[in-house]
Formats: sequence, C-alpha cells, structure tokens
Amino acid sequence: MHQVKNGDISVEEFTAKTMERIHQVDDSIHAFLHVNSDAIEQARSIDKKIKSGEKVGDCFGMPISIKDNICIKDTKTTCASKMLHDFVAPYDATVISRLKQQDAIFVGKVNLDEFAMGLTTEFSAYGPTRNPWNIDYVPGGSSGGSAASVSAFECVASLGSDTGGSVRNPASFCGVVGFKPTYGLISRFGLISYANSIEQIGPITRTVKDTAFMLNIISGHDSNDDTTIDNPQDYLSGIDAGIEGKKIGIIQEMVGEGIDPVVLSATKNAIAKLEGLGATCEEVHLEMVKYSVAAYYTITATEAGSNLARYDNLLYGYDFPVEGYEFNSYISKARTKFGPEVTRRMILGGFVPSAGHAGRYFLKALKVKQKLTREIEQLFKKYDYLIAPTVPVLPFKFGEKINDPIALFLVDINTVTANLTGKPAISVPFEMSNGLPIGVQIIANSNKDKSVLQAAYALESTVKLPEVPI
Amino acid sequence: MIIVVTEEEIEQVTKLMKIDVHDHKEFIDKVHAMIDYFDILDSAGVEDEEILMNDVPLSSLRDDKHIPYQDKLIEKLKHYKGTYVRAPKMM
Repeated sequence: MHQVKNGDISVEEFTAKTMERIHQVDDSIHAFLHVNSDAIEQARSIDKKIKSGEKVGDCFGMPISIKDNICIKDTKTTCASKMLHDFVAPYDATVISRLKQQDAIFVGKVNLDEFAMGLTTEFSAYGPTRNPWNIDYVPGGSSGGSAASVSAFECVASLGSDTGGSVRNPASFCGVVGFKPTYGLISRFGLISYANSIEQIGPITRTVKDTAFMLNIISGHDSNDDTTIDNPQDYLSGIDAGIEGKKIGIIQEMVGEGIDPVVLSATKNAIAKLEGLGATCEEVHLEMVKYSVAAYYTITATEAGSNLARYDNLLYGYDFPVEGYEFNSYISKARTKFGPEVTRRMILGGFVPSAGHAGRYFLKALKVKQKLTREIEQLFKKYDYLIAPTVPVLPFKFGEKINDPIALFLVDINTVTANLTGKPAISVPFEMSNGLPIGVQIIANSNKDKSVLQAAYALESTVKLPEVPI
Repeated sequence: MIIVVTEEEIEQVTKLMKIDVHDHKEFIDKVHAMIDYFDILDSAGVEDEEILMNDVPLSSLRDDKHIPYQDKLIEKLKHYKGTYVRAPKMM
C-alpha cells in the first residue's frame, strides 16, 4: 500500500494484482464465497481522484475482504447458509460505510461457519476454507475465510466477527493478527445477529499497526447501534510506547489441563520476551474460567434461538412452494435448509431458557458471566494485561473434531472470557510448530484497546515468522 | 439431586421451535451430550449471585423516527406488480 500512496503503482494495478492472487490461490484455499467483479472499476475511479487532485480517503484503495455475515449494500450476504442463499443486503453496515468513505475496496465476501456458529469453517454450507499454511488443516473459525484470505495475501485486511473467539481463533491458526475490541467500540449495525450481548466485529490483519489503522476508521459511536461507546482515540499514535514497567498476569486456568505442550512452551517463550521488554509477569487465577464455556454456549444458544426465529421463510428465506403444508409444518420444512450445527444450537436455544430449565441453565450462566466479570476486574486493579495462549491446541486436521461437540467446545476455553466480560483481546502470531502457527492472546481492561495494541506491537516486534508457503 | 434431561423433552422443544430433524437419533444424542456438558454449571457455586441488570433510559436511545430509504425496495423482489407483492399462499 506504501507503493500506491507514493504513486509508484496505481490503485488499479494493485487491485489487479490482488484479484490475480485470489484467482491463483483461492481454488485451494476457498476463502471467498463471492468475489467483487467491480473491484477494478472502483480502483479506476480512485485513480481518477488521485490524478485530479481530489481528496482521497485514508485507505487509498486498500483491498479488504469482508466476512459474509456483514452487509454490503446490493451484495449477496449469505452467512454461509443455504437459508440466505439469494439474500442481497439492502443497506451497508456502519463499518462498511465508514470504510467506503475512506476509499477502501471490498474484494469479496469470505467464508465462515454457518451463521458464525463453529470454529473450523467446516459448518459452512458452501464447503470449508483451508489453512494456507497446510491445506489439510482447518483455518479456525468462525471467521476462517477472513483469516485465510489475509494470511494467503488475497487482501490486506479483513473484517470478521467475534462471539467467542471467532476472530482470534482463526487469526491464531492462520498466523495473522486478530482483534476483539471492547464491547461497544465498533458498531454492530449491519452485522447479522447471532448473540448480540457479547459479539463484536473485529479486524484481522497481518500486523498490529494495520489493526490500529483499521480501528481508527471503523470504531466509534453509531446512532444505529445504541450499545456503541464514545471513546475517540488515535490507535496508531504511540503504538510503539512499549511495555516497560507493565504488570502482566498469566491466567493459570488457561495454561493447565488439556493444553498442548508445544503451545504451552510457546506461551512461556512469549512471557520471557515480554519480561525481556521490561514487563513483570506473575501467575494469576480466574476460577470461573472452568465454567465459562458452558456459560458461553448457554447464553449464545439462547440468543441464537431468538435471533434465528426470523428465518421462517416468510420474513427471510428462499423460494419454496407452500402447497401441501399447513402453517407450522411449512416453517419446519423450510428450516431444514439450516445446517446441523445451526439446528442443534436453535434446539439448545429453545431448551436452556425454557420454563422449568431456565434456572438450571440460562440464569446460572448469567451468574457465571457476572462472577467472571467481577473476578477479571479485580485482577485489572493490579495488572495491566492478562496473557494466555489464544487456543490451547495446535490447528487440527479436517474431520478430527467435527463429530465431537464437547471437544469443539473446549477449543474455545481461552477466548470466551473476553466476550463474556466485554474486554478487548488480541491474538498475535508468535511461533511455528511443524509448519503451523501458534498465537498468543493479550487481554486488557475495558476501553484499554489502545493499550492492548501497544503490548501486542511490543510482542510482535520480537517475532519473525516465515512466509506462508502457498 | 441430578435431574436427567430426557430425549422426549428435547423432542418437544424441537417441535415448539418448528424444527424438522432428519437423522433423528444421532441428532438428539448430540444435543443431549451438549446439555449434559452444561451440567458443569451446577458446581460453579453461583447460587447466591444476584443478577444485576443495566437499565438504559429511553432518553439514551435514538429517536424512533422514519429514516428515508432512497432505493425502491419493491424492485428487489421477484414477484410484484405496481405496489402489490405476491406472498406465499398460507391458508
């Protein structure tokens, strides 16, 4: 992008190279669900602005991919579901209109687990995305298409959504940076809802600086999303402030039972690097982490059950003849277009908050969420950051966990805490093992997004990873 | 006391949620396994926790007013005539 800004190459040339790269590698990666056929035309119009001396937005035609659960006006938005196969968004999400104002180019919509429910992209109705580091392995999810497209140089940055780690998990598996901001920092207007109370849109980029750049554009209050907060910041300025004198807590419940020894070793190395940069690291405890995954799935299933009720083939859906069905059986039949994971979570979402069971599941989950938030806020009175591996295991092969829902649940154990408590968290690629990346997660207190980027930048500066082999 | 969730209860919820399930046995087994896992919440020791709610005053919300939409949404539909839309026959 520096070459474009310096005028060494045109936006059109850069965009053409990006599109060529997508055509070269995406047959094997399958990050993209739809490619923007107007991208070159849009690049030309930005070039015209540059030539005529008109003011050009900060993105200068930056090629960005967008997770296919974020609405771009007049563009298909499928949520990787057959249920929304033909849905064309009638408006732009706030993040999209803000990027458009800065002359970004959306090169396409990228794959995800259906309705963002999953962590491998194996639940996409259009087939899985493959990990650019080794195509036999999952890219993580649910924003697997976003992370893979950035990792494979098919775009400069991507937007994903993070409900329980869906930005950080694939960022870790694909060796890129993934950021989940403080709840409310980025507008969710135009993000197709899954679990409104905890999900956030987040950038996936190759560097921490790129994440800060994206955040400068997409964050901020939005009257279309009343959960947004007004905390204007320049995330790029002072990003190299360092972490000397900072106190970091190592969450013991995230480095204990079930962690892969290789991941543990990488985390210890990261801690040593941070200490070398002048931080003090100590072991800390978050007792409620043990219950966080159960609480997370209970809360998200409940909200998903409500959010997905709108897909009844009357409000949203697809052409499906009604002859031969009575009202209820028509809706039931139409919903067979949902994939197995979405159907399971809808059933869970009907069950856990139902009369007779709410006290045992949903209300208890809310109490765990509240106690976990209190515990973490207590820690942030003493520590600037908390650290843990982003995912306790290495990327795994396709099919390895798909039939074991509980094994899949537990892959989320280190990421759901930031969502349940609303805290900002970032995954930074740190080491490689057998050609597969390992990410380290840094969490900070609410509204300390700038601070968490500074710590991530400091850690990133100690790392030199190889080029992706694709 | 451990309360066992029965398959019949799950099936009843499936009907109420208007969801048609194909591979019935395998499907219900997986949902059952997920619900069993949630039983870990029983040992979290949060019974005495009071759930606090954040009240958002109406004044903090944006005005509930009409926002003009420039495009003709009706033209995005497949079956329409004039300002009339053909909807599925449900009765």
